[in-house]
Amino acid sequence: MSEDEIRKEQEVIERSKKDPNAFGEIYEQYFDRIYNYLYRQTDDEELAGDLCSQTFVNALNHLGKYEFRGFPFSAWLYKIAGNEVNKHYRKNKGKKVFSIEELKVKELVEQSDEGWDEELITQVINYMNELPTDMVQVLELRFFEDKDFKEIAFILDMTESGAKMRTYRALDKLRTQFNIKVKYNG
Amino acid sequence: MGKHEIRMRRQRLTTRGTDRFKNYGAVLKQHEEEKRMKKIVRVFTFFLLIVVVILLIVVVNKWEKKARVKKLPVTSYQLKVSARGEVNS
Repeated sequence: MSEDEIRKEQEVIERSKKDPNAFGEIYEQYFDRIYNYLYRQTDDEELAGDLCSQTFVNALNHLGKYEFRGFPFSAWLYKIAGNEVNKHYRKNKGKKVFSIEELKVKELVEQSDEGWDEELITQVINYMNELPTDMVQVLELRFFEDKDFKEIAFILDMTESGAKMRTYRALDKLRTQFNIKVKYNG
Repeated sequence: MGKHEIRMRRQRLTTRGTDRFKNYGAVLKQHEEEKRMKKIVRVFTFFLLIVVVILLIVVVNKWEKKARVKKLPVTSYQLKVSARGEVNS
C-alpha cells in the first residue's frame, strides 16, 4: 500500500468517526480479505461470515479509539478478527483449525529430491500440527496473508524480532526435516 | 498432537463465495444497537451510582445522629417523691 493510499484511507477513517456510513467504503475494501483470513482459521463458511460481521461491528464500535501507527487500517482489522477467533475457540473449547490451501503450500515449498506427492503433503501437515500454535499463526500471516513482520508483530501483539524468529525456526525445521527448499528468503 | 489442527484444502478461496455474507446495512444496524445499549448501560450505571451515594449519605447521617445521642451528657436527674409528698433528689 502506497503512502498516498494510506493517507486517503486515513481520511475515510476520520470521516467514519463522525459518520458511520462512510465506513462502508472500508468494509467493501477489506471484507474479502478479513473473511478469508477468518475462513482459514475456522474452515467453516457460516462461522467465518458471523465472525467477519462481528469484526466490522467491533471496529465501528471502537473506531473513536483507533490511532494511526504507520500501518494500513487492515492491520487493526486483522487484530480484531484474530481476537474474535480466539474468543470463539475459548468459548467453545475447541481445537483451533488452520485451513490451508494446497496450492499455497506448493507455491511456498519447492521440491528438491523427491516428487511432490500425497505422502509428503501428509508429512508436512503432521509437522505443522506439531508446531506451536503461535508459530503457525505467524507463518499463516507471513505466507498466506503476505504481511510484513512489523505488521505481524502488531496483529499478534509480539515483538518484530519474535515474529521473525518464529518464522525462521519453523522454516529451518521444514528445510532440514523434509529435505526441501523453501522459496522464501526474506 | 498440538493444540491446533491443520487441514489442507484443494480449492482456492474466491471472492464469489463471500458475497452472501456481505451486508453493511446489517453491520451498521448492529453497531447502532450496541451503541444504544452502551448508552443505556452508561445511564443506568450513572443513576445506580447516584442512588448508592445518596444511600451512603443517609446511612452516614443516621449513624452520626445515633452516635451524637449516645454522647449527649445526662442533663436530668431522677426525682424521688416519697409517700409523704417530699421530693428527694
